[in-house]
Amino acid sequence: MTTANIESATNSVGSPVRPVRKRPQTPRKTAATVAWIVGIVLLTAVVLYPLLWMISASFKPNAEFGSNQSLLPENPTFDNFVKVMEGVAGIPTWKFFWNSTILGIGAVIGTVISSSMAAYAFARLDFKGRPLFFAMMIGTLLLPFHVLIIPQYMIFRNLGMVDTFFPLLVGKFLATEAFFVFLMVQFIRNLPKELDEAARIDGCGHWRIFWSITLPLIKPALITSSIFAFIWSWNDFLGPLLYLNSPENYPLPLALRVFNDQSSASDYGATVAISVLALLPVMLFFVIFQRFLVDGVATQGLKG
Amino acid sequence: MFNKFSRRAGSGVAVTVAAALMLTACGGNGGGEAGGTPDPNEEVTLNFTWWGNEDRAERYNEAIALFEEENPNIDVNGTFMDFPAYWEKRQTEAAGGGLPDVMQFDYSYLRQYGQNGLLLDLNDYVGNGLTTDTIDDTLLATGKLEDQTLGVPTGYNAWSLFENPALIEQAGVEGYEGGTSWEEYEEYMASVSDASDEVFGGTDYTGRIQNFELQLRQEGRELFTEDGQLNFTQEELAEFWSSTADLRENETVIPARTLEELLPKSGFGSNLTASEMTWSNFMGGYLGDTGAEDLNIVAPPTNDPSVKDLYQKPSMLHAVSAGTEHPEAAVAFVEFLINSPEVGKIFGASLGVPASETALEGAALEGPELEVKEYLDSVADRIGEPPAAPVVGYGALENTFLTLGTSIGLGSISPEDAAQQFFDEAAVTLAG
Repeated sequence: MTTANIESATNSVGSPVRPVRKRPQTPRKTAATVAWIVGIVLLTAVVLYPLLWMISASFKPNAEFGSNQSLLPENPTFDNFVKVMEGVAGIPTWKFFWNSTILGIGAVIGTVISSSMAAYAFARLDFKGRPLFFAMMIGTLLLPFHVLIIPQYMIFRNLGMVDTFFPLLVGKFLATEAFFVFLMVQFIRNLPKELDEAARIDGCGHWRIFWSITLPLIKPALITSSIFAFIWSWNDFLGPLLYLNSPENYPLPLALRVFNDQSSASDYGATVAISVLALLPVMLFFVIFQRFLVDGVATQGLKG
Repeated sequence: MFNKFSRRAGSGVAVTVAAALMLTACGGNGGGEAGGTPDPNEEVTLNFTWWGNEDRAERYNEAIALFEEENPNIDVNGTFMDFPAYWEKRQTEAAGGGLPDVMQFDYSYLRQYGQNGLLLDLNDYVGNGLTTDTIDDTLLATGKLEDQTLGVPTGYNAWSLFENPALIEQAGVEGYEGGTSWEEYEEYMASVSDASDEVFGGTDYTGRIQNFELQLRQEGRELFTEDGQLNFTQEELAEFWSSTADLRENETVIPARTLEELLPKSGFGSNLTASEMTWSNFMGGYLGDTGAEDLNIVAPPTNDPSVKDLYQKPSMLHAVSAGTEHPEAAVAFVEFLINSPEVGKIFGASLGVPASETALEGAALEGPELEVKEYLDSVADRIGEPPAAPVVGYGALENTFLTLGTSIGLGSISPEDAAQQFFDEAAVTLAG
């Protein structure tokens, strides 16, 4: 029940052992591979250049912006980072990171809970007017965000929620992101209904089916949604701009702009330095969760 | 993917929607019966907002702390953003009815907000809570629209010509003395560009609408007619743009391509041009950008020094929202920001050379700021009446002018076609 089992399982998953005939590599093929790899590396370099430039520029003193066009700083310095960590107008920089983190995590929790429940309802419950509601939900995808800005602002203002995180998070807990709901609906529809039926025979209600059957099986969709919800929230500029007034509540994208004001002296070095710092958590988040994403897709393949 | 919208497009739509809403509704009611000082026993919270960098934020925080100390019953909540985002947010608030009580305001937006009744008329408070005797009348008039006083200027600046003495010395030529003919200025630019391989004499000045305005004012004209239409012909504009064709060809002025590569810094800020015409309040920014110890500021060229072609531009104004619940307290705060010598001391000339005499005294300017003040005094004879508050959409036109100027510099459009395009766009902007 232990080692032998696992081994046999691994064997059955892995390809059956078969004699591999060694083919001699033709020179033509080697040349093609080299060209292929060189091409890919070049392409990667082009794609990564802005990122590289940014990281390197964050070590340039402010005076070098504009005069030194090369990738590397002439007089590398840590001053930009020191300046950034001092904070803005008496507000420490970690506070902006903290605000962004709260908003990001709030967005992930809200999206995962509310969207999965809405998706389950659309995919598995039979209620009156379901096609109509589904069409309306998809319809919100077609509605430009900008049309909603002012009415939404008025609602939240009248509710006295301006300058709090509520306007930025409430929607996330109410499954207003139709994209995520749609993604999960499609995922749930692909799950065999027999699993649900088996659970029902065992006496499960909708809640239990949702919790014990559906949720574990849509893990890849949940993770995809989490990644997008986090990144969108982390990068969101317009929402926080409209709803947050006190500098203590600013998330990073707003704080970033304060270093770069065109109407007075701009501190380009500090702007780039805080941009680099602001990127790190998103990259970290992606690296961590991408593993689960791949994991999830692999699991799904087994289900058939 | 689905959630990603271009922020610029977003703001465009927001602006349109906001404008539409403002036209149909929202004529905020003035602050009731006018005048007076705030009730010292009433607990009041004021929202105050400005644009600017962290240095300005620190100064404002200092000023707010001082004001709260003097008025223990008033609590001021300060908030700030950079310039473009600042106006995006104001547009939404204007339409949604949530403008802050006191706002740092820009000259070019005054008409748009004032016409829609979003700003409090301060006339009722003048001499009764708000002192304006301390401010020069022509400058004070820049905050007025028809008969209403909608904003009070914090400080002023004027069009000017900056020179970088280090680069001039390096080129081994004489600096431009200022205030002489356009030909002499062009000769000076050529002398620098010829003497040096890397440094240019200046920037193609036809790229900026202010220089066109300057030349028009030298002929006794303005950019706009009284009813807000263009006050020049398409041919005149094309001629203006063509006038520096030789300078561009001989690379007497810095090539537009190089300038594009330098953005967001200017050629002058990057130590590549020895002179540039811009507003006098750029001193601080240019000192920072160039890293130079000293910059000279002189009068822009003119063919007739007796004409009053320059004017005092309010660097920014303070305005009160028409919908404020505490007009007396808001006015008291504006009064403090404009006239208090302590505030003058905190800001120096960073909001423009202080408009109010009392603030100017407190500021005790020195170094580069004093140099700017001395420049402004030296051109006093050339300073005339300011033009009427900019038309709605002036900012967009200014930008179009700049973009077309750059395209001409890059050689992608002829001055004639550019003038045609400018008039087409102006027709749309000014009709709306």
